[in-house]
Amino acid sequence: MSATDGTKAPMRHFTTPSGEIYPDVIDLEPVRAAHHALYESREEMTADGNTAAAIATLQMWRCVIYPGFPITPSTKWIETVAARIASDPTTKKRVKLMEAEHAVADYMVGAASACRDLIFPTATSSVGLDHMTETTRSLGASGLGNVMIIDVYRATANFPLCIEGDPSDTLAHRDDGFIQIAARGKQQIYDTVIQAPVLGMHPEILTPTMPGYYGIKDSHRNARLVVEPDAEVNTWMDKWLAPCALPGLLNGDTAFGNCVTSRHFQGFKVSQKRRYERVLEFLPRIGASFENHFGRPGLAFFDAVGFEDPSVDVAVVSMGPDFGTFEAVREGWGRKNSLSTAGIAMRLLSPFPRDAVRERLKKAKVVLVVNQAHHMGRGHLTLDVVDALSDLSSPPKVVGAFAGMGGADVSEPTWERMLDQAKHALEGHPVPPYAVFHEGMTL
Amino acid sequence: MSSYKEIAIRESCFRPGSTLCPGCMEAVAFQNVGRVSDNGVKTVFTIGTSCAEVSSLFFPNVVAWGRGEAPPDDYTRSFSILHNVFESAPTLAESVRDVADVLTDMGALKQPVQVLSSSGDGGALAIGLRAMLHTIHRRARVTLMVLVNEIFANTGFQYSPATTPFADTSTTPTGPGHPGNLQPPLDYIHLVIAAGAGMVAQVSPAHGKMFNKTIERSLECEGTAVIFVPSPCISGWKFEDGETIHLATLGAQSGVFPVFTWEKGKGGSVKDCSIDASERPAVEEFLGMQRRFTHLVMKDNATGRFIARPGRENDLARMKDWVQSNVERLYHLADLMV
Repeated sequence: MSATDGTKAPMRHFTTPSGEIYPDVIDLEPVRAAHHALYESREEMTADGNTAAAIATLQMWRCVIYPGFPITPSTKWIETVAARIASDPTTKKRVKLMEAEHAVADYMVGAASACRDLIFPTATSSVGLDHMTETTRSLGASGLGNVMIIDVYRATANFPLCIEGDPSDTLAHRDDGFIQIAARGKQQIYDTVIQAPVLGMHPEILTPTMPGYYGIKDSHRNARLVVEPDAEVNTWMDKWLAPCALPGLLNGDTAFGNCVTSRHFQGFKVSQKRRYERVLEFLPRIGASFENHFGRPGLAFFDAVGFEDPSVDVAVVSMGPDFGTFEAVREGWGRKNSLSTAGIAMRLLSPFPRDAVRERLKKAKVVLVVNQAHHMGRGHLTLDVVDALSDLSSPPKVVGAFAGMGGADVSEPTWERMLDQAKHALEGHPVPPYAVFHEGMTL
Repeated sequence: MSSYKEIAIRESCFRPGSTLCPGCMEAVAFQNVGRVSDNGVKTVFTIGTSCAEVSSLFFPNVVAWGRGEAPPDDYTRSFSILHNVFESAPTLAESVRDVADVLTDMGALKQPVQVLSSSGDGGALAIGLRAMLHTIHRRARVTLMVLVNEIFANTGFQYSPATTPFADTSTTPTGPGHPGNLQPPLDYIHLVIAAGAGMVAQVSPAHGKMFNKTIERSLECEGTAVIFVPSPCISGWKFEDGETIHLATLGAQSGVFPVFTWEKGKGGSVKDCSIDASERPAVEEFLGMQRRFTHLVMKDNATGRFIARPGRENDLARMKDWVQSNVERLYHLADLMV
């Protein structure tokens, strides 16, 4: 710490690895005080996923600017935020309408580095996320854990354009460096959006987050939602969020975004990966803390069903709301075929919780991995699961499947057809590296 | 307004250690902007990828930015800089401005902040035209500085939308039947006025007092101030050491990039460049100093003046027509009272 005998604006300042910080320049208490609570008490309502995500961000006192650009099916997020802000004549919070998704991402770089104690959320989908890519790859390495891009999953790329929800957008961005968390159901969406910045802004992690949910199926369909009072949301978040020890542009004398020689590039990337891997350590703690505070399940690596005895005949790995259809057919199909079945719906996509997945699946005889995103190989999840199991001396056989691409419903007949394929493998018959299923048929 | 002398003795935020080419106008511009902005207000600078960025923020080289040998005790003299991708500088500046404004509005930030951005003409007028125009359109209270060296210098001197006609660039090379760039430059001054800029200028540090005064005024602008800084590039324009300021002066006086200042609602003026071509230095003298135009002009040993190369007379005439239209265009724009 340096003292000053200057005559002009003397202030405490400290040296940090990222430059000098003047901790008294920004007083966050007035920001907290300027927050107008959206909900004073716990309320139950019916809401769609975009509304649930919007409410969560609106309840955070640390969110003061909401940059956005509309794209189906995420548009209602920014519309909801804009409507709520517009309905409060005295709020000092702002909606920032940008001219393109790339501009939104650039805006978040500047805003999040200006003040590292505030949270800057946005929502996008599909090619909108692709349009951000040049900057999301920078953000992923930036240390700006106070950036949150809510990705409303939609098939990415055109030829053909498809506005329904599959996670090919988020899964095409796994190397951007964001913490990617999938949610299914309105309650899980709401709860995930509240927890994501806490994870990203943890001083051991400092990595932006990308919570996501399926477009149309979850973004547009209504279901029951319990909304916590703002005070409780912020009390819980503040318990985890200490003032950032590193300077921002406004309270620092610092430089962000330097370029480096290849020699030093290695160190930056190692540091980024280490921060990223700490997600595996802190996510369960944050999830447990959330559950303890609110009484609902918090963040987890995956949701699991049917693993009372881990030595199952067929274990399914999938994600998203269609996993619920699997849950509906699981026991019936198992009884009919005299086989035990279980499954996990992935929540943490990146970093992939390799060890936890291996532990859960290691005693299964066959693992059926259902991918809903287009992939030029066996599927994103399939490759991750194969890798997770690769350390086992006698790993389960992995059956790769694609279903529900472009947001198509994965119907009960389709699940049964895929499970039949897993049974085929269980019986020792050869199966192809992957197969595509739709409406009860193999395509 | 501060006097030239008062500004000259201030401390710049651009420090020794950059690897910009010796003779680069960008370094001169940064030195001056750095002194002007040492005005008792916290400075945040944003920068898109460009020569300036890779030459001044290159770890493990020194960071060539900041005031003083150590972070100042006086917060108002502290300096922060943010780099992101080519087109991003205006948007970055706008977002920093917004956060500062919201925090100030809420009573969380008591200190004023000034925000400037720096882009190259590639970053601002090619890949980043969208970003720049929309930041202006939203009336962001920032100063956008565009260093116009008329090429993508950072990637090896390729054509940009600001390239002067007939210039030899690495993507508009000259050869038999190929006289270099044939595309007239984008009318970027008109564009930013139309987008809603509060203040627009074209001036380089070759006009030192005017440059500093313009930057100082821009920091007080209630809307977006856009300063185009003609920036002779010693490597891309291929001129002799020590001629940077001379070339910038000659380029302005001959009508290639006249000094121009304009403010919303007040109109503007063209300085040091007559609308009458006969009262301006011959453009051939400007061209002759640079090897990027060596296919167009040559020195007449008899007179010591530059003249059209044999067979290039029509091209030179077209070049002079463009210069005249360029000057007249700016005189017209100066009359705009939007």
